[in-house]
Amino acid sequence: MSQAAIYVMAAAAVIGAGVYGLLVAGHLLRKLLAINLLGSGVFLLLVALAGRSGGAPDPVPQALVITGIVVAVSMTAFALALLDRLFRETGQARMDVADDDD
Amino acid sequence: MSLALDGLLAISLVVLALQVVTGASLFRSIVMFVVFGLVMALVWARLRAPNLALAEAAIGAGVSGALLMLGYRRLRAAGPEATRPGPRSSRLAAPLSLLVAGLVASLGWTALGLPEALGAAGAAVVAAMPSQAVANPVTAVLLVFRGYDTLLELAVLLVALAGARAVEGPAGPADLAIPTMTGLPIVGALLAALVPLSVLVAGYLLHAGGNAPGGAFQGGAVLAAAGVLLVLTGRLVPHPVPGPVERWGAVLGLLVFSALGLVMLARGQGMLSMPGAWSIYLVESAMLVSIATTLVLLLGAAPGLRRGPLP
Amino acid sequence: MNFIQVAATILLVLGGFFYFAGTVGLLRFPDVHSRLHALTKADNLGLGLVCLAMALLGGSWRGAAMLLVIWLLGLLAASVSCHLVAQAALEPAAEPPTPRGDP
Repeated sequence: MSQAAIYVMAAAAVIGAGVYGLLVAGHLLRKLLAINLLGSGVFLLLVALAGRSGGAPDPVPQALVITGIVVAVSMTAFALALLDRLFRETGQARMDVADDDD
Repeated sequence: MSLALDGLLAISLVVLALQVVTGASLFRSIVMFVVFGLVMALVWARLRAPNLALAEAAIGAGVSGALLMLGYRRLRAAGPEATRPGPRSSRLAAPLSLLVAGLVASLGWTALGLPEALGAAGAAVVAAMPSQAVANPVTAVLLVFRGYDTLLELAVLLVALAGARAVEGPAGPADLAIPTMTGLPIVGALLAALVPLSVLVAGYLLHAGGNAPGGAFQGGAVLAAAGVLLVLTGRLVPHPVPGPVERWGAVLGLLVFSALGLVMLARGQGMLSMPGAWSIYLVESAMLVSIATTLVLLLGAAPGLRRGPLP
Repeated sequence: MNFIQVAATILLVLGGFFYFAGTVGLLRFPDVHSRLHALTKADNLGLGLVCLAMALLGGSWRGAAMLLVIWLLGLLAASVSCHLVAQAALEPAAEPPTPRGDP
């Protein structure tokens, strides 16, 4: 088990946790946290694979992930603004099973 | 021996992620997410990505954490019912997430076996580094080799800001009442020490980004953190009308980068080519101002910010 | 291992012990103020010991000075946030505090 292998497995588990949280969470804020976890898991996968040879780390995935982190925080801020508006319009910030149309 | 540390960090990441999605309360989920961000910063340092470690600690854990906490507080102000979690039962969730995790794990395992030579872009960058004006390969990738990505990322920040303003209701943003405690002299002393230090550190990170880990994003995030501190302690209050600082600050990065790119195009050297180290520092400085302004405005959830009543 | 490495190892273990003690205090003490007591004091002492160990291992005065600044900043942030949390815990609760394990 090399260092890259450990983090690749961890990234897979974090992505799985993010998917689970996205499906299971009732409150929208928790769904947002799960989306952020998904993003972090993907970044971890990218950078772990970048350094797998043990030599100088590949700078291209690192630059992409820096860009990704900033985009993720922009998305979080926008999603929070949407959540705020939704809450003030409808009085609740949840998506429960009872709300489904099917 | 060092693999034990990596294993420990990896296990912490997984445990924290599970705590985020299955936490007993929403508050606990947010706190676990911030801790997750901090452990991620350690993991980036272990994976020999110091630029990423700086960016994750400042943006991922710091600014994201503040944003989420403020969002939680706004919801909570309407009553404890607003933040009660409650899982929706879904029989598909557990098998589906295990399937996804297994898929990613098998993909990753296969990719681990691939030879490094397939990463041609990285090898080309490393080979071209000695002829570049900056010595930090990540900065070179961000500004010299993949300038379009960075340009569009500045546009994404601006779009998020414009979207947040567009989505705001007609009643205006919910106001953050300043807690009475922030008038304490100890808070004033903290700000007097931290805010100038943050400006200094941001400038240092920007300058150091040329040859050492650092850069515009990390510096912008540190400056944004100082702004977050000012907003949270009531020294900067949300205001419905944006002033010139907010307006120009938000677009400066995009403007300067595009202007430089177009000037280079007009001179026949190709769009977004960087003629020297001075151009890189110019664009990075503009980016720093933009990133800081946009993040603080997103946090304040208001079109503008004015100086608050406290010193 | 020479003297510096031995000293740094001892300092690191001591620092880790103080962090452990602070965490035990966080988990076991009954109310906010005693938990703050454990966290702020034990954790920052642990931070100081770890920074001292890193300064010894780093081997340069510049690095040692930066680690000293890091420790002082940590102290500043911890003491201010401890004060604010303690003050907030004294006020009559605007919203009832959530007991452990409840949403």
